[in-house]
Amino acid sequence: MASPGMRNERMEQFVYDDAIVRLFLLATLAWGLVGMLVGVVIALQLASPVFNLGLPWTSFGRLRPLHTNAVIFAFAGNAIFTGVYYSTQRLLKARMWSDALSRLHFWGWQAIIVAAALTLPLGINQSKEYAELEWPIDVAIALVWVAFSVNVFGTIAKRRERHLYVAIWFYISTLVAIAILHIFNNLVVVAGPFKSYSIYAGVQDAFMQWWYGHNAVAFFLTTPFLGMMYYFLPKAADRPVFSYRLSILHFWTLVFIYIWAGPHHLHYTALPAWASTLGMLFSVMLWMPSWGGMVNGLLTLRGAWHKVTEDPVLKFFVVAITFYGMSTFEGPLLSIKSVNALSHYTDWTIAHVHAGALGWVGFMVFGMVYWLLPRLFQAELWSKRLAELHFWIATVGILLYVVAIYAAGLTQGLMWRAFDETGRLAYPDFIETTMRLIPMYWVRVLGGVLYITGMVFCGLNALMTWRSGPARYAEPVHEAPSLAPMAPAPAAGGFRHAAWHRRWEGLPVTFSVWVGVAVVVASLFEIVPMFLIGSNVPTIRAVHPYTPLELAGRDIYVAEGCNNCHSQMIRPIRAETMRYGEYSKPGEFVYDHPFLWGSRRIGPDLARVGGKYPDLWHVRHMEDPRSTTPQSIMPAYPWLARTPLKWSAVERGVAAQSTLGVPYTPEQVRNAGGLAREQAKQIAGAIARQGGPAGLEETELVALVAYLQRLGTDIKKPSSVAAAAGSGEGAGR
Amino acid sequence: MKLADVMSAMHFDLLAQVALVIAVAGFVTVMVAVFLARNREPFRRAALMPLADDTVVRRPGDRA
Repeated sequence: MASPGMRNERMEQFVYDDAIVRLFLLATLAWGLVGMLVGVVIALQLASPVFNLGLPWTSFGRLRPLHTNAVIFAFAGNAIFTGVYYSTQRLLKARMWSDALSRLHFWGWQAIIVAAALTLPLGINQSKEYAELEWPIDVAIALVWVAFSVNVFGTIAKRRERHLYVAIWFYISTLVAIAILHIFNNLVVVAGPFKSYSIYAGVQDAFMQWWYGHNAVAFFLTTPFLGMMYYFLPKAADRPVFSYRLSILHFWTLVFIYIWAGPHHLHYTALPAWASTLGMLFSVMLWMPSWGGMVNGLLTLRGAWHKVTEDPVLKFFVVAITFYGMSTFEGPLLSIKSVNALSHYTDWTIAHVHAGALGWVGFMVFGMVYWLLPRLFQAELWSKRLAELHFWIATVGILLYVVAIYAAGLTQGLMWRAFDETGRLAYPDFIETTMRLIPMYWVRVLGGVLYITGMVFCGLNALMTWRSGPARYAEPVHEAPSLAPMAPAPAAGGFRHAAWHRRWEGLPVTFSVWVGVAVVVASLFEIVPMFLIGSNVPTIRAVHPYTPLELAGRDIYVAEGCNNCHSQMIRPIRAETMRYGEYSKPGEFVYDHPFLWGSRRIGPDLARVGGKYPDLWHVRHMEDPRSTTPQSIMPAYPWLARTPLKWSAVERGVAAQSTLGVPYTPEQVRNAGGLAREQAKQIAGAIARQGGPAGLEETELVALVAYLQRLGTDIKKPSSVAAAAGSGEGAGR
Repeated sequence: MKLADVMSAMHFDLLAQVALVIAVAGFVTVMVAVFLARNREPFRRAALMPLADDTVVRRPGDRA
């Protein structure tokens, strides 16, 4: 879109690299099937624990992160790269800068996905949601992301189109923001080849995690898909976007506002109230730009609605954009503190996430895939009717899923906070609330099966279209004038006439720097006070570091993914303090690297479970949860009583925590293994005396019991006992 | 006195309002830039970019 009078008349010919787009598209479909299949499996596990199969690597706590990582980074990630590689080349009128980097990006990303699929079921994870992968894989992600970014910016540098279309802006914001988020949320101290501890603790770690978690949704599941919407929707509808001006506002308001909103994931927790309020305020502000984008998308179809009835691509896009609107209305709603008090920890959040993931992300991907298939594989779409069937079956699947889980979430929230006429909890036994949800969980399974059936149809359609394509793909030659020179800088008064923004749109480096500044400044506004204000985390004298054995138990808690179902955060809400005990204080978590507050309560909160039951109860509960709670849906963990505890890992763990500033004495660090063995003997002896199995002192189970029995007990100790524990005298309990 | 002490003594209740003012100011600035009448034509042309990006001049088999 060279300006009149500035066009450089030297014409250049070039060929796009569509082979890389084909690779990413096929990977999208393959990983989508895997990720959604794991989703159906874990949905089954919640409906009936028998589907955990009694095996470590198929239990819910290990598979749930595999599901989220597979659908986010494998399915949506490969889809993003499909859309970016196709549209970037065409919008910039240039082949990708480096074919080698494109291939490095593709194979590197697939290797990362395979590494995730192997390590997560093995219990290798660092517990942070959507950032579970351990440090070697995190390093690989950073390197591959750099390769991708260099390739995109290299393509921008050699472009033949001066103006950067708004889709490219959205892609740039993704490249910049994801790099910042990934690096700073994954700063760790290494404690082994596959073990690390977050450098942040407790409140600060929670803040950093949800700064990352929320903005992963923003800059991985929203901005790149909006870029794809602004490119593929006009292509499919064969008409320009309704308002390019609105798209610019959409872009800048999202970039300015999204980054602030993370703390709304931590309302009423031990996070300081000012951060919580800030997060809520900016979340509510997000509603308008998001709806501006939705309206812009839907109005692009003005005069083309008749095409929607005939074209499955447009059907998918229309429903996707509608779900974008619904999700971005519901997100701000959920961020309001009083609403969040009801919704947090319930399935309402899960319904919200899946409305966005299945409706917005999934349908954008399917619309794009069906539009690309004939163009990439140079053959007619194998079956338009199958694509139509995919659309309807998947739509019904989403509706069944979200209606059932919205109902489950509301049921949970209302039952947890219900009081009887005497002022006591109406449902004091947590399992009562769980049992109510089981029928809804079966409806979710049905919805998931329908959705994945549609995905199978899509895969079949893609394979058959691929098969009917030519043996060797044609590579059409394109032609465009070389890059026009930049317009001269505006004279005085240019700012007043807003010529600066027009210049930025042709200056990718300046543009990217300003995007980075917007993201970093907004982040620092929250991060700096969070880390520097001492009053944010008042210290509690009675709180001391975990013993070496408790720390080892904590590592097992993380490896088994217990935090996927159990929170460790009692909010200052009457229904919670009556059910679980005194509300959680920020100072209780100062040695928690990483924090384990969790985000859902499939099972009850564990913040004060320490001392609530005898050791033997925990042993029986882990062997078979139904033996202590007949209707429990928790998986059994029989292997914990058989798996020897790795004493060398205990020593490395204490040393790493000491490096992070946890005040272990040099003697405790040197003799961590000995102290752990001593405490393990005491607990194993107590279990045997209570009538339980003998000889557990060498097993992982005894470490997990030690950790669970410690939870929430520090602030109940008399100060003299606490001081003795802190001075290193109390290796045991 | 440490930096943390200084920060702790500050009143951050105003932070949300200050941030809000900055965000609104940024929003108004961009809105003015976008809706100035003189920018109408460039934006109209920009909106057409996805529809004009696939000009094939030669397919394999065509004579160069």
